[in-house]
Amino acid sequence: MSSGMGSGLWKDWRLHALVLITVLATEAIGTYSFTIGPGVVLLLPMLYALIIGLILYFTPIVKERQSKNAEPIIVLGVALLLAKIGVIIGPSLPQLIEAGPALLLQELGNLGTILLALPVAVWLGLKRETIGMTHSVAREPNVGLIMDKYGISSAEGQGVMAVYIFGTVFGAVFMGLISGFLATVTPLHPLSFAMASGIGSGSMMAAASGSLIEAFPDLENQIVAFAGASNLLSLSTGLYISIFIGLPLTEKLYGVMTRNKKG
Amino acid sequence: MLKNIQEWLLLLIIFGVTSLLGNWIGYDIMPLAAAPGMLVLVLVCLAGFILHRLIPIEFPSVAYIAIIGVLISMPWMPGSDYIVAWTNEVQLLALTTPILAYAGIAIGRSWTDFVRLGWRTIVVASLVLIGTFLGSALISELILSLQGII
Repeated sequence: MSSGMGSGLWKDWRLHALVLITVLATEAIGTYSFTIGPGVVLLLPMLYALIIGLILYFTPIVKERQSKNAEPIIVLGVALLLAKIGVIIGPSLPQLIEAGPALLLQELGNLGTILLALPVAVWLGLKRETIGMTHSVAREPNVGLIMDKYGISSAEGQGVMAVYIFGTVFGAVFMGLISGFLATVTPLHPLSFAMASGIGSGSMMAAASGSLIEAFPDLENQIVAFAGASNLLSLSTGLYISIFIGLPLTEKLYGVMTRNKKG
Repeated sequence: MLKNIQEWLLLLIIFGVTSLLGNWIGYDIMPLAAAPGMLVLVLVCLAGFILHRLIPIEFPSVAYIAIIGVLISMPWMPGSDYIVAWTNEVQLLALTTPILAYAGIAIGRSWTDFVRLGWRTIVVASLVLIGTFLGSALISELILSLQGII
């Protein structure tokens, strides 16, 4: 957090005023939901805020400097969010300890990425970029791992960067849309999806668990506690799961699948 | 260090005020009612940033912040009732809206990279996110129901 944070960011009144207006407008609009078959898709103010922010970037009101200044402020906002999640986890600590085994083991669920996305990537004709793309959810630590192992300009490096860019731009919107939908359309319990929301990105976790809260308001505190704890675990264990299980498994499965294809 | 603390504090206050106003418009909680809770959250963040600076080990500042938040709100901690009651007035979603507003302005610069991604990348990246989400949910479901929690 300390590195890369220039001084005087608080003086960028143009940026703070734009954000304030965006927040007031989107909160005034409020949440909209619509149904697709048995599932519910929730449109939360935070999703409008992201899209309005993106549109603002392309207007002359936002200069390059505002966009650069906004980046470290996201970290501060996530810090406040984590403080809030902390004080929700505190009172639920006895329940979280009870749910400890599930919390720890669901971290392995990240491997679902490999099983689901890798075959499709190979089938679509992608080459070794598949390995970078599908070994994990491609957040910062995973990008570092791939760059370190294969190099920045390697096919694997380009693959991990592509998923990273997708996640950065579209991840929160995507998670917000699918989490409410999947939680209402599948028979799985909302608390299972709450644990799944912690995938190691603050904004994706917020969007995914935010939709769950809107869909199941009675479970709000439990949803936040489970999602927050799972996100903290993902941040601390995600890299090791990638190093010791995810990446070797990806390499292996990629080898098997491409061999079968040729033969 | 002092200059940094001042910068962090000012930015946290600007962010906090924006959230308090969103908290009012979106969730009908008067800013004065939520102000003590917001102050607690700002101080927790500040403490986390300072600890991160003072303790010379690789440990992210956000982890300090989450841990301090947990410690001060545990049922065994004296005064935790107040912390929980105050911070309850700050809605989680009122904090996420400004985060994503700043994020929208920041990711504008990645947009040109984003539109250059091919359709195959979009399909695979979507499956990457769905895969981890469903994978984790299935394991959680299995274990939580084995334990009888859900």
